Amino acid sequence: MEFVVTTVDQTFKIGEQIGALVNSGDIICLIGDLGTGKTHLAKGIAKGLGIEDHVTSPTFTIVNEYTGRLKLYHFDVYRVNDPDEIEAIGFDEYIFSDAVSIIEWANYIEELIPPNNLTITMEKVTKLGYNYRKINMNYEDKRYDYIKEIKI
Amino acid sequence: MKILSIDSATAAATCAILNDDNVLGEITFNYKKQHSLILMPIIDELFNNTGINISDIDAFVASKGPGSFTGLRIGLSTIKGLSQGTGKPFVTVSTLDSLANNLAYTDGIICPILDALRDNVYTALYTFDNYELNRTSDYINISIDELINILKNKNCNISFVGDGVAKFKEKLIANLPAVHFAPSHLNLAKASSLGELGLKLLSKGTYDDLYASVPIYLRKPQAEREYEQKMRLNKNE
Repeated sequence: MEFVVTTVDQTFKIGEQIGALVNSGDIICLIGDLGTGKTHLAKGIAKGLGIEDHVTSPTFTIVNEYTGRLKLYHFDVYRVNDPDEIEAIGFDEYIFSDAVSIIEWANYIEELIPPNNLTITMEKVTKLGYNYRKINMNYEDKRYDYIKEIKI
Repeated sequence: MKILSIDSATAAATCAILNDDNVLGEITFNYKKQHSLILMPIIDELFNNTGINISDIDAFVASKGPGSFTGLRIGLSTIKGLSQGTGKPFVTVSTLDSLANNLAYTDGIICPILDALRDNVYTALYTFDNYELNRTSDYINISIDELINILKNKNCNISFVGDGVAKFKEKLIANLPAVHFAPSHLNLAKASSLGELGLKLLSKGTYDDLYASVPIYLRKPQAEREYEQKMRLNKNE
């Protein structure tokens, strides 16, 4: 699945739809450069999960926890130097739980990411314009088929 | 000697008060990990319902794991806090020891298995002889297949206990002869069992150091993890 968006609001709304559809144990990897909208998408997912808390980027806390329709673990592993580091905080206990996990910069810890994940890649499409973003969603596990319901 | 014992290394949040002869009280919840919410209320309730005051406690016992990293931190920091605040000593005991102790007097090998995720288990091997629990291996983190390989040629009864049983029971039955499983009332970490082992250490004068004591965060050796990653990459090629 691929979407092209031109506003933060569109990114947020895609997230919101994902959040309304996700199931317990889902693992969502967000991959993309700074400023592509990963955190905005995560905020949308949180909203879609019925989370009212203000969602901020966990760049410094590594993981933030929220409770909505389901529990949400929001990771940002940008500052993690080595997969070992994040494994040592008990990463597995988070991602193999009943919660939904969002992992920004998941490509930094590729070896720890289980294959049954939803990978969302976000990139700027500068040739179309400054605000254009391409959002690509990939998965192998049928559990994420709900992605097909997303519309912009 | 009166001791307070807690174990939050697994899904069980369990707390007990013991003296040399008896378990005076024990509260265990083995449902959803919510240790940070319920551990202190459990301790409080134990004191209230036994009428024992924290100043009556001579020493503390905590689990040193292996197990849930978060759970271990909650348990050990709680006990360290109580120990420092009261000025009374504490000792740590492995949850694997305490699970094996649940099956005291069992013939053959006692093998506690805790789910370490990704098809791995935290485990160690024990025998119970001469009225004593004997650990015959290191505490290890290995895949269930490796464990089966180790146990395959043992010519004796093997009894499994721990939260790994639910996940791997069928596989163990299919691959090993003479396997047995703890009944559900013994198949969980109990602070009373941990406390009993801790009490033995304390009465011999064995204590942990408040500043040096850390849990066993049992992870696979770096070399093994790198090898697995390499194998995974090869498979993807």
